[in-house]
This record gives sequence, C-alpha cells and structure tokens, in this order.
Amino acid sequence: MKRLTLISACLAAMVACGGPKDTITLEEPDSPFIAFNIWVKAGSQDDPAGKEGLAALTAALLSDGSTTHDSYEQILEKLYPMAAGYGYNVDKEMTVFRGRIHEDNLESYYELFRNALLSPAFKQEDFDRVKSQTMNYLERSRRFSRDEELSKELLFNVAYAATPYEHPEEGYVESVRSITLDDVREFYDTYYTANNVVAGVGGGIPAGFAQEVRADFDQLPIGDVTAPVAPNPSMPEGFKVLIVEKQTDASAISLGFPISLVRGDPDFFALMAANSWFGEHRNSFSHIYQVIREARGMNYGDYSYIEAYPRGYTTQVPPTNVARRHHLFEIWIRPISLTEPGNLHDRTLFATRAALRELKALVDNGMPADTVEATKQFLRNYTVNWGSTITRRLAYAMDDEFYGYPGAGYLNAMRPGIEALTAEDVNAAISRHLQYDNMYIVFVTADAEGMKQKLLSGVATPITYAGEKSAAHMAEDELIASFPIPVQEEDITIIGINEVFERR
Amino acid sequence: MRVLTTFALALVCAGSLAGQSEGIFPFDYRLVELDNGFKAYLIKAGAPGQIAYVSIVRTGSRDEVEAGKSGFAHFFEHMMFRGTDKYPNYDLITSQMGASRNAFTGNDLTVYYLVASSEYLEQIVDLESDRFRNLNYDEPGFRTEAGAILGEYMQGALSPGRWLDERVRSLAYDRHTYGHTTIGYEADVRAMPEGYDYSLSFYRRFYRPENVVLVLSGDFDYDEAEQLIRQHYDAWEAGYVPPNITAEPRQRGTRRQTVRYPGRTLPVLSINYKAPAWSDTNKMAVATEVLGEVAFGPNSAIYRKLVIDEQRVQYLGAGFGLARDPALVSISTMVVNPDDVEAVEREIQDAVEQARETLVDERMLNDTKSAMKYGFLMGLETAQNVGFAMISYVINTGGIEAVDEYYRTLDSITPEDIREAARTYLIDSSKTVVLMVQEGGE
Repeated sequence: MKRLTLISACLAAMVACGGPKDTITLEEPDSPFIAFNIWVKAGSQDDPAGKEGLAALTAALLSDGSTTHDSYEQILEKLYPMAAGYGYNVDKEMTVFRGRIHEDNLESYYELFRNALLSPAFKQEDFDRVKSQTMNYLERSRRFSRDEELSKELLFNVAYAATPYEHPEEGYVESVRSITLDDVREFYDTYYTANNVVAGVGGGIPAGFAQEVRADFDQLPIGDVTAPVAPNPSMPEGFKVLIVEKQTDASAISLGFPISLVRGDPDFFALMAANSWFGEHRNSFSHIYQVIREARGMNYGDYSYIEAYPRGYTTQVPPTNVARRHHLFEIWIRPISLTEPGNLHDRTLFATRAALRELKALVDNGMPADTVEATKQFLRNYTVNWGSTITRRLAYAMDDEFYGYPGAGYLNAMRPGIEALTAEDVNAAISRHLQYDNMYIVFVTADAEGMKQKLLSGVATPITYAGEKSAAHMAEDELIASFPIPVQEEDITIIGINEVFERR
Repeated sequence: MRVLTTFALALVCAGSLAGQSEGIFPFDYRLVELDNGFKAYLIKAGAPGQIAYVSIVRTGSRDEVEAGKSGFAHFFEHMMFRGTDKYPNYDLITSQMGASRNAFTGNDLTVYYLVASSEYLEQIVDLESDRFRNLNYDEPGFRTEAGAILGEYMQGALSPGRWLDERVRSLAYDRHTYGHTTIGYEADVRAMPEGYDYSLSFYRRFYRPENVVLVLSGDFDYDEAEQLIRQHYDAWEAGYVPPNITAEPRQRGTRRQTVRYPGRTLPVLSINYKAPAWSDTNKMAVATEVLGEVAFGPNSAIYRKLVIDEQRVQYLGAGFGLARDPALVSISTMVVNPDDVEAVEREIQDAVEQARETLVDERMLNDTKSAMKYGFLMGLETAQNVGFAMISYVINTGGIEAVDEYYRTLDSITPEDIREAARTYLIDSSKTVVLMVQEGGE
C-alpha cells in the first residue's frame, strides 16, 4: 500500500470544528496539505477618495515585496524548492491572503508567509515594481484583453455609482498614479491591526499550530476602524445604457440591477434555485444558455448571478472571499460576433432581447413545480463541487464569518436548504426580488453611435442561420427580434475605450 | 480478453522526498487493459463519495493535417455533447446527476471529464462509453454549434497572448501542424458549418479504443469499476487511423519578425527554440525542461536582474514544457521601455550563452528538482486534480506508468546534462524571435 488513500473524515471534521471569531480552523488530519487564509477587514470600499486602488496596491506590495527579514529575491529563492507561494485577493469589503503548503515544508513556509504580512519592509523599489505592473494592467490589459470582463466591471461601476462599491478594486488610472508608498504605509497601519484580522488555517494542521498563528497576528497593534455604511443603491428608473466604443468584431454585453438579498436571508436558496435554472454559471443547465447558445449558436455561453462573480471566465466554481453586503442580479452574455459585415448590432440586440424576454417569462410565469424539482436535483449534487479543496472549504468558512452565517456554515447548509424548497418558495422569491422594467445595460461594441440609433429606433433585429431551422424556431425568433427594450435617448451614454476607468 | 491488474510499488518514505527509487506517485491504482487496445487507470484518491471520470483522447490540433481544417479537433469536442440515440440529451442527464463536466482541447489532446457523486459510477460508465461509441448528430445541429465556436474564437481573439501565439507558430513552423493554434485560423473557423462530412470521418478515425485512455480517480470499488468498464468498452471496435503528420524539417537560421498588435500593449518579446519531444527516460529531454526553470524561471539570475532589481520588464516567463512531437520552448518578456527592447534581448542572449558555457550551481539544480516534485505533489489534492495530473503522461506515452520513471530520470540529471541540453537545443539556427509592438506606437 502507498501511504495516501482517500482523505477521510474531512467533512465530519469541518462540522465539528469552529473556534473563536478571530481564528477559524478546519482540521482535516489525513490531509498532507495545510491551507492559510488571513482575512483583513478592509477592501476597496475603504480606499480614500482620489486614492482608489489603495487597498489592492497595499495587498500587492505585501504579497510581492520584501520583509524586514528577507529581500523579495530571498523570499522567492526560499519559496522556490517548495513549489509554493502566497497570493492576495482584494474585493469591495475583504482583503485575504491565501497560501497552501505540503506538510513537509510547513515550518519554513509559514515563517515567510507570516513575515510577509507582519513584517513588511515597504521598500521603494518593491513599490515601484508593483505599481508599474498595476499601471500596465489599468492602462492596457484591462481595456484591451477581455471585453467580456470589462463589461461586467462597468455594470458594477454604473449600478453602484456614488457608493463605496463604485470603483473597480484595482482603481482608476489617475488614482493609482497618485498613490505613494506613504499612502500604502498609512493604509497598512490603519487596517492591518490585531482586532481587524481573522486568521484561518485548515487541513493537516499540527496540534497547537492554529493558536501559534493567532498569537503571531495578535502581535499587531490594536486599531480602531469602522466599515463604511453598506451601499443601498436605488433601482434605475427604466433602462440605463452605457455603450463603450471600441474597434471590434464582437460585442460584450452585461445587464442587471440591484437586489436586496445576501447569503443567509430566508429567500436565498429559493432565489439561488431560480437563478440556477435561469443561468447557472458555465453550465448548460442554464436556460438562457439553452436559448442563446444551444438553440441558436450565437456565442459561447449565457449565464446569470445573484452574487458577485468576478473573473468568471477563469473558473467554473464560484469565487470565494468576494463576500459583500450588497449584490446585483446580473446577466452575462458572452461576446456576440458578427457573422457577416454589418450584422454585429442586430445580433447583439437579438441576444440581449432574448435574455430580457426569458427574464420576463420567468418573472411573469414563475417556475413550474417539475422545473423546480429538476433544479433541486441538479443543485443537490452540483454544489458538492464547490468545496472540493481545503483552500476553498476554508475560504467558505471565512465568508461565513463575514455573513455571520449560522451553524455548520453555508457549504453544509446548501444541500438541506435546497432540499426543503417548494415551488411556492421559489416563485415567491422570484416575485420579491426579480423584475424586468428597470435595468442597467452595458455594451462594448464598434460604432457606438450606430448602436445607439438602432436601439432608439426600436427596429426589429432579426438574425440568420447557416442551417435550416424549424417553423416554430423561426416564429419564436420573430418575437425575440422585436422584443421591446424601452430606452430614452438621455439614458444612453457613450464613452470611448480609452476613457474607461481613467478617473472617477 | 486480457485484463491486467497492477498494484503500484511500495511505500514512499513518509514525509520525505529523498530516495525516489520507489516512485513519487503516492496512490494505489489498477490498470484495466482490453483486447481492443482500450486502457483504464483506476486510482483511489481524493475525498470520500466523489469520482472524477477523465477520458483522454490522444488527438488534438496536432492531428489536423488537412488544409482548411485547423480548429477541428476543438470543434469536434463540442459535438461530443450533442447526444446519442440512447441518450439524446447529454446535458439533461448530467444535470440530473449534478455533475461538473466539461472538456478541453490542446495541441496533443482532447479531454472530457465529469466530476460527480460516486453513486453515479454505473450510469457514467454507460453514458461516457456510449458517446464515444455511438455519437449521433445531424447537420443542422452541427451548423448551430459552429456558431458557438465562432463566439469562443472571438472572445479571446484579441487577447495579446493568443494573438502573439498565432504569429509565433506560423513563423517558426514550415510543415508540422503545431504551426496553427488549437482554436484554429479565423477563416477555418468561419468555414466550419460546411464541414459535416469531415466531422464524421474525424470521429471514425480518431475516436477509437486504441486512442482513448480513461483515468477514473476518486472513491469507488476496484472490482465494480473494472467490471463496468469491461462491460461497456469491450465491444468498442478498434480502427484508429494515425494521422500522417509531417515532421518539421531542421531549421537553418534564426527567424525574426516584428508584428503590430491592434490594441494597447507594451512590447512583448518572444524568443523560441526547437526542442525535443517529451520523454520520461531521455535525459536530454528532461534536462531541457529543467534548463528552462534554472536559466529563466522565477529563481534565475536573469529574472532577478530584469524583473526585480532593474525592473526593466513587467514579467519574464519560460515555457519549457515539452510536447508529444518536437515543439517550441520559449522565453517571453514584456519590456517596460520600448527603447530597451534590444538591450533586453541581449540580456536573454547572454543568459542563453551562459547556460551553454557554464555548469549550473548544484544547489540551484537541487532546488529546481525539489520545486518540480513538490509542484507535482501539491497538485494531487482532489479526485479531479489527480486525474488531470495524469493527462500529460497519458498523452505522451499512452499510460501513467511514466510518472515514476520521469521523476527518477529527473533525479539523475546533472549540471553537465543541463549544459549539454543548452548546447544541443538553444542554438541560433533553430531560433525564432517575434517582437509584438503596439500598432501605431505608444
């Protein structure tokens, strides 16, 4: 027999574990891996005005900079033979530092990881390097490498205008340009305090190790910070459209509106089920995927969300540590290409209309009982994949702490929560939280003025196919092509790609 | 029928990577081998109650030898979800299981996977074997799917990495099919709706038991799994027709091109050399992979100089993973100041010359070996990750036995081997340099 077999008892251990609120432990004694998740209660919402991007730049410098014990080069040299590293994620409300190590290397790894957070050197040359990499992303990559992600970021930007959630976590070009090393030090001193940090450790943790970690983080000074008031953006009145002008043969489309629902609310699993049927992320179970991609071959995929899901193109499982006190309902239509010159806008609007029409049907008709049952069956097993690694299980536990999630936590509550749903629950949640009269829509496309005129004209935007389609299919297409998108001229804004996220 | 059952070798020394002679692979497995050439590796690993069912087809864009058919292996991957007579709605059935399932295509592979609760094993063996044996789709469905491929092409078309990759390949290769990317040329993608008959021949030639290997990892019973696999795959008719891939002729002289990216980017320099095919036993092949790490990896002297100390580049990356056929290894970097491109290229050239002339430090070599081993072990956390970690071994050799052999060869690599690899492969006559700059300048 070899020494490793199934990692057993992890689920039981998860349920059994818990701890004081400043330390989260998930013991899985058979695992050869140890995972870390250090949560600093600060996010982009805490960025000072004019210094948007400061929380992210601070975390980047800690993660990719020298400590008072080792230069950054020495850190890389020491991490290298362990094939390990650590990284950060900054979202609206949370900063987390995550790492994972093989048990053989725990001691030397933890020393580096701890020093990165507790003993940063704040070297000017590290700061210059990290800032230059960030500026390159802001000025070039964000605008030019993936329009579908850009349209999602812009949707959040317009929906959360004038709230602490407004700006992208990485900041604006001008605001990041103005950030100095002193700004970073000050942010660190304010937010990286003993009583503002929750330490998470999971996997094959040695006895007493979690306490050791906590004691280390208790060496930080005590601080006094208050989180900004949670955003509560108002619903747009009617349709508000942003069109980004860019030379492209494909349009990126994002649409959505604010919802008042977070993990732990009584309606949460009911709306999760409705959303799963309507648009489960990167899964053909998604209804709008079936309508837009599967039946019509218009693009690569079409999904919807009730919680933030940044960088969805990189993952099939929900991102963790993007816990927020407020969320949007969001529809993501992946890029729609022209199939012959001149038909880009017709196809873009057809896909948008198809999604809106399906949303209207969901809101007006609800979900029949058999569809609810099929969705429950799907989710019952599918959600098991979301906690597949110790890194993810631990991250979910940190998010539970954020939401004040009761009992054994969200991952463990999903299955029974979904099992217990009735069609009435789901349909009541749909009518309480979803609607189709008020919407933000973002398009990234070519010839923005032409797009605006086509949208305002209300003209039908039919599409054609490479192959034969049935009469029923074509009849439905006719309804989709002329489905109304009621928008006024003053509610359409056009900006050029080089203005995107330049400044607030 | 011949069924081989193999129990892997004995204990790894607990908690230590010293003494690799007994093998790095930390799990038991059983090999089931059928008369028609089909092989299944059953590996117990991961968390209780879950299985990963990974079907690996040893066909990828490398096999697209006909003109105008680039991107077809990937297109065919999409068609495999279009159902059979027995299971006309693949999506519906797998949704009911709540399985996480998807597929991906590369130069040398097309991989289909499901991750699901162990209770569905029997149904999954039936479902998966059925679509490999009895796929059935009509021409209208085929044409519709072609539209989704175009969407997939477009959503990443202007990603600078893919844009540059297309240009590097077409400059570096004269004959071999590695000259085109997996997604294919845009013109070929747009012509896909017309390729129905070709798609049928693609299935007939490549989706055969000799060319497909199953890795089942997770929580299951060996005997039950073996019996199910025998039952469902044994009648699959052999008939694999290997593609007639033209070997790349020897390159005679450095190739160089500047290309203009239609978006915003700092200059990206891509320096490529022709490398040997992957091997678990050929020391020169393994030494080439180590060379990439030692000379250009995140712990190399040039990385420290250019990225950290002088900050003249945004990143420096080494792509020295080898492929089934001789392919490119590459060093790529994004230069902060456009006027500094030539000087950065000279720095890289100096590092290449240093690798050819001097012996690598023993400690650096040992750290690199350790990094490669822990990189492998750290990837073995879940049933799915264990299955995925086996893919490259299956693609290159047809099985997973090479895992232990590869790491044994790695252990034996000396500084002299690394220098010899540099002298053999990092040569000017096989070099291809592409500089990507922004159209119209900064």
